[in-house]
Amino acid sequence: MKEAIETRELIVLDGLDVTIRGTYHKTCEDCSSAQPKLIERGRIGVLFLNPPSPTRAAQGDSAVYWADSFAERGYPSFRLDLPGFGDSEGDPPTELFDSNNQRGYASIASVKIRELVTRFNLAGVVIVDQCSSGVSALYAAASCPECKGLVLMDPRFDQPRIEPLIRQHSSDRASQNCRRFSSNIFASVKGTTLSCGRASPENANPRLRRLKEVASTGLPILIFKTLSRMPKVCEFDYSKYVVGLAGRKSQVVINMLDGADRSFASRLNRVTIRLHTEQWLDACFPLAKHKEHTLRPQTAKP
Amino acid sequence: MQTQLRPEINLPEQAGYFAVPGADIYAVLHPVTDPVARVLLVGPFASERHSSYHAWVRWARYLAARHIEVLRYDYRGIGESTGVFEEMSFEDWDEDVRFLADQVARRSPSVPLLLHGLELGAILAARRFHEGTGDALLLWSPPANANQVLCSTLLRWTGTEQQYEGLEARKSASEYIRQLEQGQVVEVQGYRWSSSLWRDSFHCELPSTMGDEHLSCEAYKKPVRILKLGEDTVPLVGALLGYNEANELNWLYSSSFDWVAKAVALSNRRAQ
Repeated sequence: MKEAIETRELIVLDGLDVTIRGTYHKTCEDCSSAQPKLIERGRIGVLFLNPPSPTRAAQGDSAVYWADSFAERGYPSFRLDLPGFGDSEGDPPTELFDSNNQRGYASIASVKIRELVTRFNLAGVVIVDQCSSGVSALYAAASCPECKGLVLMDPRFDQPRIEPLIRQHSSDRASQNCRRFSSNIFASVKGTTLSCGRASPENANPRLRRLKEVASTGLPILIFKTLSRMPKVCEFDYSKYVVGLAGRKSQVVINMLDGADRSFASRLNRVTIRLHTEQWLDACFPLAKHKEHTLRPQTAKP
Repeated sequence: MQTQLRPEINLPEQAGYFAVPGADIYAVLHPVTDPVARVLLVGPFASERHSSYHAWVRWARYLAARHIEVLRYDYRGIGESTGVFEEMSFEDWDEDVRFLADQVARRSPSVPLLLHGLELGAILAARRFHEGTGDALLLWSPPANANQVLCSTLLRWTGTEQQYEGLEARKSASEYIRQLEQGQVVEVQGYRWSSSLWRDSFHCELPSTMGDEHLSCEAYKKPVRILKLGEDTVPLVGALLGYNEANELNWLYSSSFDWVAKAVALSNRRAQ
C-alpha cells in the first residue's frame, strides 16, 4: 500500500496523544516536488472539518470534490477526521450533541490546526465547516490565530434541538404539516420579537455571540445560505443580523443558494459552492503571482 | 472529551492506496501479529457508506483486538478511493474484491481467509466465495440482487427529499426509476446513477446457493453465515436520523465474532 498517490497523501496527526487521520490534497507544485512540505512558506491551506458528518469525505463525497478542486486551484487542502469520526480513534465528545454547550471539537481542532500549519509550513488555514451547526469551526476560529478565514455552509443560529425531537415522532404527513404550521408561527413570533429589538439574540445564543465576535475581528467569512424550499413566515435572518452588528471591520460575505439540499451534496450545488469559494479565496488570499501560471486545469469531476 | 475504555482503541492501523486500472483504492489494514485469521470487509453501497462507516470501522477494530487481521476499503469511485463514480460498474467493484482478497491472502496463505460483506458488499463477497476464494463467508443483510440495494436507497432518499420539497416539485421513487429506465442519469445523494448501473444491477445477483445458510454450507463445504439485520442495527443498515441515534452494536459484533471463531477453528481442523 502506498501512503501517497500523485494528487493526495494520507496524513496522521498524532500530537498531544490524540491521533487523527486525514487526507492532504496536493497542489500542482506539491505534486511535482520531492519535498512538498518545504516547497514554499506562507501558503494558506483549506481545512475541512467533518463533525458531525461521519466521514471526512462527507455526504456524496462532496468534500473530496471541493478539496481536489481547491488544491488544483493552488490551495493545499486537508480533510480531517476528528476523534470518533471516520478513520480516527476515540469517541465523539458528548458535548457535541448538547445543544446548550456546543463547543464541540474546538479545543482539539485548534491543536490539530497548529500541528498542520507547522508540518506543512502554512501561513494559516481557512476552515470549511460543512455542517449546519458550524460549531467546531466557529469556536476554533475564535481560539486559534492560525485560522485565517471561515467558510460556513448554511449555519443555523436558532436553537436546533426542538425540531429533531419532533421529527423522530412525526413521520406521517399530517403531523409534518402540523409541525410546519406551528414552526411558521414560532418563527413569525420570534422574528417579530427580535426585529422589534425586544430581545438581543446573541445574548441568548452562544453560537451567534461567537460569530459576532469572530466577524468583528475582521476575519474573512463566507457564508452559504439556502433559500429555504419552504420558507417560514417572517423568519428572522440571523446571518444578516450578525453582518450588521460585526462593525466596520467585518468581512462577512453571504451567498444565497437556490434549492440546495441540506448537505450541499448535489452536483449543481457543489459546483456552485466551488466557484463561489474559489472567487472568495482568490480575493481574500491571492496566490503569489509566480504561481498563477502553474495552476492545474480543473479536472475534479463533481 | 470522554473516551470509553475498549480493547480495540489504540491498535495500529495502516491506511494506504492500491493502484488498480483507472483508480487508486483506499484501504485500511488493521494489522495483527500472528493473526488467527484474516478478514476482508466488503462494505455497503455508495450512499450507505456515509452512514454505516463508524459502525463498520468499529467492527474492524473489534476483530483486530481479537487477533483477526482486517482489511477494509472503499470501492473505486467512492469515498476516499479515486476514480469517477459514474464511470464505474458492478464488474469494477467485483474486481476490487478479487484484487483485495488476493492481497489479503498473500500476506500469509496458511491463515484462514474470511470474506465478510454487508448489503451490496454481501453480494460481491458471496460471488467471490462462490468462485472459490476464502475459507468462510459471513453475510450481513444480503439482498437477492444489486437492484434491491438501489431501490431501497432510492426509497429512503426520496422519502427524505420530499420533506424539503414543495408539493409541485416532489418526485416519487417510481418517477426516478422511470427516468433511469429511459436512459437518463439520476442523482441520488450526490452520486450520479447511470441507466447502465440500473440495468446491470439486475444481473449482479447473490449466487442462488446462498439463499439458505444450511444449503450454502453443504454446497461449499465451508462455513457460511447469513444474517438479516433489522432496525436495531441502524446505522449499519437503514436510514440514520442522527449521529447520536446510532444503536449500540456490541451484541452483533459479539455474536458474529463467536461465529467467526468457530469458523476459523473448523477451517484449521480441516487444514490439518
